[in-house]
Amino acid sequence: MAGLAAAFGSGAMTNSIGEFEDADLFFVIGSNTTAQHPLIGTRIINAVERGAKLLLFDPREIQLAPFASLHLRQNFGTDVALVNGMMNIIIQEDLYDRPYVESRTEGFDELKALVSRYTPKVVEQITGVRSADLYRAAVMYAQADKAMIVYAMGITQHVTGTDNVKTLANLAMLTGHVGRHSTGVNPLRGQNNVQGACDMGGLPGVFTGYQRVNDPASVQKFEKAWETTGLNTKPGLTITGMVEAAHSGSLKALYVMGENPLLSDPDLTHAEHALGNLDFLVVQDIFLTETAALADVILPAACFAEKDGTYTNTERRVQLSRKAVEPPGQARADWEIVSELLSRLGCCGTYPDTESIMREINALTPSYAGITYRRLASGYGLQWPCPNEEHPGTVFLHRDQFTKGKGTFLPCEFRPPAEAPDEEFDLTLTTGRIYYQFHTGTMSRRIEILEREAPQPVLEINPEDAKRYGIRTNDLVEVESRRGSIRLKAEVTTRVPRKVLFTTFHFAESPVNRLTTSAFDPVSEIPELKGCAVKIRRCS
Amino acid sequence: MKLIEKTKIKGVLAEWSKDFNVLCPSLTPNGDCLFDDFDPQTFTLEYRKPSMPQKRSCFPQAEKIFDVREGSFVPAYNHKKTVLFGIRACDHMGLRQSKSFFTRDIVDPFFGCRSEDTVIVVHACSWPQNETCFCTTVHSGPYATADFDIQLFDMGTDFLVEAGSDKGRRMISSSPFRDFDVDDAQERLERVKHMAFNSIPIVEEVAEAMDILKAGGANETVWEHLGRKCIACGGCVYVCPTCTCFTIHDRVTSKDSGERVRTWDTCLFEGFTKEASGHNPRPTQALRLKRRHEHKLLHYNPVDIQTALSGCVGCGRCSDSCPVHIGTLEVVKAITDHIY
Repeated sequence: MAGLAAAFGSGAMTNSIGEFEDADLFFVIGSNTTAQHPLIGTRIINAVERGAKLLLFDPREIQLAPFASLHLRQNFGTDVALVNGMMNIIIQEDLYDRPYVESRTEGFDELKALVSRYTPKVVEQITGVRSADLYRAAVMYAQADKAMIVYAMGITQHVTGTDNVKTLANLAMLTGHVGRHSTGVNPLRGQNNVQGACDMGGLPGVFTGYQRVNDPASVQKFEKAWETTGLNTKPGLTITGMVEAAHSGSLKALYVMGENPLLSDPDLTHAEHALGNLDFLVVQDIFLTETAALADVILPAACFAEKDGTYTNTERRVQLSRKAVEPPGQARADWEIVSELLSRLGCCGTYPDTESIMREINALTPSYAGITYRRLASGYGLQWPCPNEEHPGTVFLHRDQFTKGKGTFLPCEFRPPAEAPDEEFDLTLTTGRIYYQFHTGTMSRRIEILEREAPQPVLEINPEDAKRYGIRTNDLVEVESRRGSIRLKAEVTTRVPRKVLFTTFHFAESPVNRLTTSAFDPVSEIPELKGCAVKIRRCS
Repeated sequence: MKLIEKTKIKGVLAEWSKDFNVLCPSLTPNGDCLFDDFDPQTFTLEYRKPSMPQKRSCFPQAEKIFDVREGSFVPAYNHKKTVLFGIRACDHMGLRQSKSFFTRDIVDPFFGCRSEDTVIVVHACSWPQNETCFCTTVHSGPYATADFDIQLFDMGTDFLVEAGSDKGRRMISSSPFRDFDVDDAQERLERVKHMAFNSIPIVEEVAEAMDILKAGGANETVWEHLGRKCIACGGCVYVCPTCTCFTIHDRVTSKDSGERVRTWDTCLFEGFTKEASGHNPRPTQALRLKRRHEHKLLHYNPVDIQTALSGCVGCGRCSDSCPVHIGTLEVVKAITDHIY
């Protein structure tokens, strides 16, 4: 988000899901699309079947691989070098969109100077991608009429996550693949409302709609609306920052809503110690999670079917959801809990219903101004920006100019991952998700049929590595990093390349985040969950 | 034979609702058609093919089989006398086939008692509901020929009403149903049926594909091609009027009580055939798809399919809903196309 906001002025999927149908080329990098965004994945498959090209960059052989015109399995954590190399070829071969670059962007000379150092030979050394393949990829992307870049956590969960995103934005601007139908830079958001949570200011430094808490005009607007003064203008902490602060003792109390850091955070042993160090922990969730089990106060929350509200999905589409059943026991909707907490703390008035909250959002958030309950009640939602009640919503962003005016090239140098394999910890462990489980399994592990499909974590290991360690499929193995070790079953498969292991973070019985590193991206503070150095042995 | 003005239907359903749970087409705020409990506000006769078949009236998506309370067993038969109003002939054939399967040798008590207590009102189609309808190919429509209680034929402002059982005859015996006392009533009905039948094109590839399967099977590359793109969502199974596989779960509800529940399952999931050892006789998605389609087009029980051609009833919903176009229509075309 931070990367796209810096380059374009807006940190969201530029285009829409429906536009996948008309694209000529998909550049998919760091997204196991059919597993994690299956209906978007199927649109890619359908498009390929009608003649579109798929350029897939992924170390793993995911379900999309057989549909790819070109599948490149780059070394872990080398995306910046890879894409810089593509841009160098595109500039050298004069395949870039000169009029677009001249009229709509700034900073081209700096970009050109930086990427010129990423010759095919240099890139091959860093990424393991053969220069002929890199050339093909660059030409295919540059020459496509309508090309969409599609990425997910495989891009962002690196110490260079923001650089990865900026570099992809550079590539799209260089070739004029932003601001038109079926093009753009398209981060696929992982949950039904993660875009909405960001839009509503669920980030450390912003009010709703990314209005900064240190911008005097915004502060004044919110102070007036909330009939208060002296709003804190200092950005807060990210999750990574909170865990650090709890660990060092400067953070005393933590209120966790709908998140299970004791399974999802990197370096769990460290996170456990940090949370144990708190004076007061409140957890609000629909089930008793690993984190809730540690809490001083648990606030039982209503699930999606038990409350009214809206969700904003990956394509910026706000949709209304109505309560179907009453919440069980003492559970209450999140908004009711927070609203009552506010009133008991003596802050602002209470809200009678979710529509009154939406009215406040409309009044204070320019991009949501026209997204009212009245309009959401029929049809299938509205896509922001939607500045007034007559506005139809926005299918794709940056049509005639970027949100910030001119798009800015933000060239980045390649930086290696935080923890490269060495002699002792000689393999790279990368983590992800599978089709049948969701996140830390708080919900999906309670569904019997999903649990039947994926009852336990599996470690994918390449046949060559497996042979070296005497490991066969279904063997119990121990994987160890500098931070901890876990045991789980192995699956010997060519889905992963040599020297790379893969597993998922869904399973509390083998919590892979005991192993991961808490090294993080300096801008977004997203941890490098996609890779750490490990060693492996077969348990006897 | 009887007639009824369409505008009177709502009143009839309100009347029936006193004695029955009436399931009928309802419009959602977004204009989709669902079968739901009768509500005069949302009831509609302006509907095409509902996105789901009405199998859940006899075979709910999830149903409790029994409770365990303080160590004792309490069976859970939970059903009401039901009128299933306005179902299409293809879905009716699906229910007939499923009923045969569930009650042929050993009676499944849950499906059995529900279907015994259900009054079926078929709304015959006058034309295809959309481009994937192929009931005429598999002999399941556009109108029902047996095992219904009441059938409605569209005559403009009226429905022509046919009784298919004594129960049905009793239910339409009084006002606002009125006698259709013209000499050529039967001929008129036949004419309506004939026109409806001819409006739905025959898909030649279905019988052709069935012959190929009978003769030894389709080229394996057909299944491999389809298996590569199947995302195993199970949607085709959930929308299929004749898919009736279920699985059983035990749920603990408190310290000394629990319940056993059965829920819809699908043969497209890997775990459906996976054995305790970890061995899976259907190890690939290609083989799982092959199994499903052969079950419909080859390995059906001739008794269960009733008067239809196959275990597929031609509703076309799998073709409507599969995000990567692996419905029966696409599968039979792939089998007969020889393009792979």
